[in-house]
Amino acid sequence: MNVWLWGATALLLGFVPCGWIALRAGYVDALVALQTAGTVTTLVLILFSEGFDRASYMGLAIALPFVGFVGSLFMARFLGRHL
Amino acid sequence: MTARDIAIALLIAAAVTGELLCCVGLVVMRTVYDRLHYAMAATSVPPFLIAIAVLIEEGWTQPGINALVVALALFVTSPVLAHATARAARSRRR
Repeated sequence: MNVWLWGATALLLGFVPCGWIALRAGYVDALVALQTAGTVTTLVLILFSEGFDRASYMGLAIALPFVGFVGSLFMARFLGRHL
Repeated sequence: MTARDIAIALLIAAAVTGELLCCVGLVVMRTVYDRLHYAMAATSVPPFLIAIAVLIEEGWTQPGINALVVALALFVTSPVLAHATARAARSRRR
């Protein structure tokens, strides 16, 4: 275990509050929790990439903010109009 | 342990602490607007701290620049997401 992997392991705890809100609060609150979980995932992937010395994980970390951005925008639009 | 290693460890610790505090803030806050505030704070400082740590470790190579691009992408896209989410919350309240 190096410092990158310790950081990634600690950061994984951030999924617990996000999951709690996603399960217990309303739809829009769940969307906010999903956005935060996406940010946490991105940072965990960067830390894993450095910790395991795998450049491919960094590729995922680059793609995730853009994919999450489009998905969250669609979801926000959908929540505002239909649900 | 060199000064470089200590700087990297401190940057990662600060980033992880900030990110976890923002996650806890989601639970502590009561309204969706307050929660949005914490969600967007999670995309501002911690990604840059991690990007700086990667840059110290790797220098201006592909991993370092990639980490900086990720931090910038999060920083630029999050205000748009916050606006869209707040609009959705407002239209659902009406």
